[in-house]
Amino acid sequence: MGYITDKNYYDNAANHGSYQYVSLQDIVNNFMLMYTGNHSLINNEERYKILFHAKRAIQELNYDAAKELKVLQLNVTDNLTFILPPDYVNWVRISLYKDGVLRPLTQNVQTNYAKAYSQEADGDVIFNSDGSVVLIDSEINSDRLDGTKRSIYLNPRNPFNGMEGYELDGDWYFKFNMGARFGLNTETANMNPTFRIDKKTGVINFSSEMLGESCILEYISDGMENGDNSSIGVNKLFEQYVYAYIEAEMLNSKLGVQEYIVHRARKRKTALLRNAKIRISDMHPSKIMQVMRNKDKWLK
Amino acid sequence: MINSVRNTVLSILNKNNYGYISPSDFNLFAKQAQLDLFEDYFYSYNTQITKENARRSHSDNADIAKSILEVIEDFSEVTTLNTVASGNVFYLPRESVEGYSYYLVNSIIKRGILTSGTTTSSDAAQNLLIDSSANFTATTEDQVAVGDTVITSTGRVFITAIPNSTTLATTGLLFNASGISYSVSRPVNYNSVDVEKISRSKIQMLMNSLLTQPSDSFPAYVMQADTVELFPIRVYSFGEIEANCIRYPKEPKWTYISLSGGEPVFDSSAVDYQDFELPSSDEPNLVMKILQYAGVSIREAEVVAYTKSEEVYNEQQEQQS
Repeated sequence: MGYITDKNYYDNAANHGSYQYVSLQDIVNNFMLMYTGNHSLINNEERYKILFHAKRAIQELNYDAAKELKVLQLNVTDNLTFILPPDYVNWVRISLYKDGVLRPLTQNVQTNYAKAYSQEADGDVIFNSDGSVVLIDSEINSDRLDGTKRSIYLNPRNPFNGMEGYELDGDWYFKFNMGARFGLNTETANMNPTFRIDKKTGVINFSSEMLGESCILEYISDGMENGDNSSIGVNKLFEQYVYAYIEAEMLNSKLGVQEYIVHRARKRKTALLRNAKIRISDMHPSKIMQVMRNKDKWLK
Repeated sequence: MINSVRNTVLSILNKNNYGYISPSDFNLFAKQAQLDLFEDYFYSYNTQITKENARRSHSDNADIAKSILEVIEDFSEVTTLNTVASGNVFYLPRESVEGYSYYLVNSIIKRGILTSGTTTSSDAAQNLLIDSSANFTATTEDQVAVGDTVITSTGRVFITAIPNSTTLATTGLLFNASGISYSVSRPVNYNSVDVEKISRSKIQMLMNSLLTQPSDSFPAYVMQADTVELFPIRVYSFGEIEANCIRYPKEPKWTYISLSGGEPVFDSSAVDYQDFELPSSDEPNLVMKILQYAGVSIREAEVVAYTKSEEVYNEQQEQQS
């Protein structure tokens, strides 16, 4: 994309903030111009290979370096599920939005969903006429949906919810602070609903306390913009890394390239990624100062 | 140059009254010789690049690759391709339509088209494009502007003014009728992209790959006989696809006036006159090549042997340099 006038920039919402990014088209074009040719390390390579590696570089950056979070808010209804968005790759944070406050949820360490096979009384599995197993609703699913499933977390489904303390096998446990939190399992000491992600079926399964609540999913995608090449781009801070990535990958898979050249390209790629990650981490002196002020807070 | 070449050839052949070649034979040999040398340029260029990469070539006046490339680029042509039928298949340049045959397709460009249409009336001065259904003054990001290019099947011209919403004033005299298809493109247009050549054996795999499938940002083409098929498959506008080709040199023709009872006399004003298209520096090579063919024709082994040895000597000289 070329430089645009101020008027074009402000008139078209799609242009807002666009200067932070370099487009995929620019990356491939620049790479073809600057890094390939008769006198370059890379020669006689098809453009689609460069395109492939450019996109792979952008995908990798989106997974762990670019900090390009997408956020989606949906209400959780009767089935207590949240269908993952179409460009979902992995989650960063899942929160309950209630009373104007975001309450980050905890991923349940125990499963809260299962498939179930229909069985005879003696335990034999029942099959259809085509030989496939007959599936039924699992008990764990039903319990979760009807709200009878208990929770190990300190939320309303916990058997000891609301108790100031409870006695078990002669020992007393306290949920609330009574001078000290004796015996509290801090891993599960969270009063919010919980969730588990069923990746295969593409849903987030919530505990029953999420019924009717609003959920906010912060997730990462791979930056491929649903296959629209004209919309794909990467932050300019990563531009040099993307060129280095393409060059290293192409040299790596090219026949007859000396190992020291491959090694040099790989080292350059790694170093540039490190630099770019530092740059994108927004470490400004003012920000560090602000965080450091935290050391002066009064605890008692 | 062609007359000079012919005179030299005849001078050498006639030295001992060995033989004479007729104008028609000379033209046939000249065509073959020119084609031979033309093709040699590509191999020479390749050799020079290899030398450059081995740091055996230098800059300025010693830049041999540059001078070879200049000769090759003399044969470069840019042509808007015509569709076979409205769709994604286009004819490559043909002798019967574009007036030349291509030797190789250097690149195919997909132009970013700002607008396209058909003229609705003719202009007496022939430089005004009039399309009553157009809106050339619409305020959009892709608005037509002075300096943009208008492409028609007969050529391309620049816009010099936009008198009103349905008229464009241009630099050329192309608009002498209604019903002329046109497209408007911008010389620097970020939607104009190179179309990548893909072998027929790879295109399906490319289409099936999520990351590399052809798109408007990264289109591809496959060649088939005298056509190219573009991907992604869709209907392309007129003027959207253009080819940059290296064409074959035109057939040289030594034309003459017949004098009764005498020698034919060179006539460069004949309609079908065509000089060699190779640079003057190739004159000795052309003479040698034509002498080879002529030597074989008149069965004069000495001529063939001499020209062959000259050619080998020249090649060795070039290799050593």
